Amino acid sequence: MFEVYFPVFLMLAIAVAVPCLLFTLASTLGTKNPTPEKMLPYESGSASTGAQHLRLSVKFYLTAILFVVFDIEAVFLYPWAAQFRELGWAGLVEMVLFLLVLGVTLVYAWKKGALEWER
Amino acid sequence: MDIGLGTYLSLAAILFGIGAVGFLSRRGILLQLMSIEIMLNSVNLTLVAFNRWNPSSHAGQVFAFFVIAVAAAEAAVGLAILISFYRLKKTVESDRADLLKG
Amino acid sequence: MIELLGAWAPLLPVLFVALGGLGLMLVDALVKDKAELAMGTFVVLSLGAGLALGLWNEPVTAASTELFGGWVAADRLSLFLDVAICGGAALAALLGGGYLREHQLERGEFYVLVVFSAFGGMMLGRSSDVLTLFVALETLSLGVYGLVAFRRTSPRAAEGALKYFLLGSFASAILLYGSALLYGATGHTDFVGIAASIEAGDAETRLTILAMALMVVGLAFKVSAVPFHMWTPDAYEGAVTPATTFMAVVVKTAAFGVLLRVLFVVFGDDMLSAPSTGWPRVLGALAAITMLGGNLAAIVQRNVKRMLAYSSIAHAGYILVGIAAAASGPADAGWSETALSSVLYYLLAYTVSNVLAFGSLILAGSHGKEAVSYEDLAGLGRRHPAVALPFVLGILSLMGFPPTAGFFAKYYVLSAAMQMGTGMLWLVLVAVLSSAVGAYYYLRVLVFLFMKQPEPGAVVAVPMRSLYVVSALVLSGYFVLRMGLAPNAYLEFALEAARTFG
Repeated sequence: MFEVYFPVFLMLAIAVAVPCLLFTLASTLGTKNPTPEKMLPYESGSASTGAQHLRLSVKFYLTAILFVVFDIEAVFLYPWAAQFRELGWAGLVEMVLFLLVLGVTLVYAWKKGALEWER
Repeated sequence: MDIGLGTYLSLAAILFGIGAVGFLSRRGILLQLMSIEIMLNSVNLTLVAFNRWNPSSHAGQVFAFFVIAVAAAEAAVGLAILISFYRLKKTVESDRADLLKG
Repeated sequence: MIELLGAWAPLLPVLFVALGGLGLMLVDALVKDKAELAMGTFVVLSLGAGLALGLWNEPVTAASTELFGGWVAADRLSLFLDVAICGGAALAALLGGGYLREHQLERGEFYVLVVFSAFGGMMLGRSSDVLTLFVALETLSLGVYGLVAFRRTSPRAAEGALKYFLLGSFASAILLYGSALLYGATGHTDFVGIAASIEAGDAETRLTILAMALMVVGLAFKVSAVPFHMWTPDAYEGAVTPATTFMAVVVKTAAFGVLLRVLFVVFGDDMLSAPSTGWPRVLGALAAITMLGGNLAAIVQRNVKRMLAYSSIAHAGYILVGIAAAASGPADAGWSETALSSVLYYLLAYTVSNVLAFGSLILAGSHGKEAVSYEDLAGLGRRHPAVALPFVLGILSLMGFPPTAGFFAKYYVLSAAMQMGTGMLWLVLVAVLSSAVGAYYYLRVLVFLFMKQPEPGAVVAVPMRSLYVVSALVLSGYFVLRMGLAPNAYLEFALEAARTFG
């Protein structure tokens, strides 16, 4: 059991050890001369603006939740696809009905403006 | 080590207990929502484990699928209510829901 | 037409309501100038109730009962619940039509949520598998959480919805864990299969009892029985009044319907339902504390909506008395049909009485000021007798005063319990005592309506004018009187539905 996974654990150990080693070396051997400019967050050379706690717009939430709901409904498609031949026509009809209902809800969300970023 | 039905059921029961205690003891609404999700997932584990040891039908696994879908819908509605609450009260502590009493 | 549908016929009401809901949703999204959604919702739901009545005498075929491998039931109980749920929801939609317009809250979501929640309730009433039970319960509950949070600018609505949501999902999770354990104990998810497995002694007994306890607790939350009622007054007060009406009538009817099915079909085993050691004992205790707790807490309320919330808790207690009585007969006598039918009759009477009471409360206020406290009602009977009249009728019916529907409902439940012998005597006594306590706060409404005058200088609630609300009141008032004066037809209706459990 353990032998099979030995290479994985070895890999894991090396992956942890190397960055630790590098960071330790850098912090002990390097000289430190902090200036205010050096302490700023690095944003590709441009000066950073705004507070660090950014208020995320509620629009992100609406989009995310729509994604999650429609995404999870797709969960029912997998078992149906796996058993497609066994379920036959009855399964196809049921799935089409299910997707139609989902389609109606999509139309609803669309027309209600839930999919528009700027309102 | 032998991993039997009992092991899975115990794990699920412990998870359910963690969720229930978390729900009752925490005051952050998000944490309470997470506790409910833990409870639902422990139920999923129970269902799938029972199905594994009683494979005459797939009822348990099908049930777990439905629980996942319903949990997503529940989270969507719950977070929407949470946001509405936060907008009006500027807090996500359920202790601060104190307008209605008696 | 019926023949064409074959085995699907018993599902007709629920399919119709689902399609109607989808149609209303599309209308709401596509029609820009506000369509008459309240009327549309009323039509869809009352046609749903009409379909259920029309199918009453259609024989249920074996194919129907086996429909979808036993996932949904096809019997008269589900049709009966369809009538109660659709009727209650249709009246709540009418109240919504008047209330939302008056208070400038008119948005289509309300009606869509009402229809889909009613659909969830109808599915719950005919669920015959723990999976259907869970999905239907969530369909019902998720819609109602949305209804409570409907008024987005009100902190009270957000708070009530939050409390309801948190406790409601907690209860669902408990119920679900019970269902999962039941599946593990018996290897089945359909009610009949579970019952057969328990009957045959194949089920792990301790696991079954634990599962039963969890499921009963989960459902007790939904019917708001004390001590699982904490969310009820807050959610009822926070919600807009038509949504409160919907919760009071539809959620409670559907939850009691499925509770009956779970107790009498799934856990109907002789050992589990033994009057002294099984669940009837537990339900009896639950009924007693629910009646006492609900009535006592209602006395101290200053807000009429909150008082009606506690009154609905107390009514859940009376209904539980009927359920406990149905299983408390002699060991070989089976279920008491009288007690079961009294429970169903009570659900109908409770539905129309509550619509009448909440509807009158809606009618008593208008855009400037909504009537919520007792003081808001002061002198209303003098100033606007036409508004006070339905209020009086609704309150008398909730109180159980003859000749109203509420009186006969209470009478039938208590006399059914009396027939079960001395074992139920204490429960009947508690019921009578707590009703007497309840008379105090119901009469207080009447005192304020007719004998008090508003404080000088206080803003007086002016009754609104709305054809929607008035027609809902006329309809529910008709049934309150009709069920009180000529209850036989309705009792026969309930009795035929109760024979489902045979």
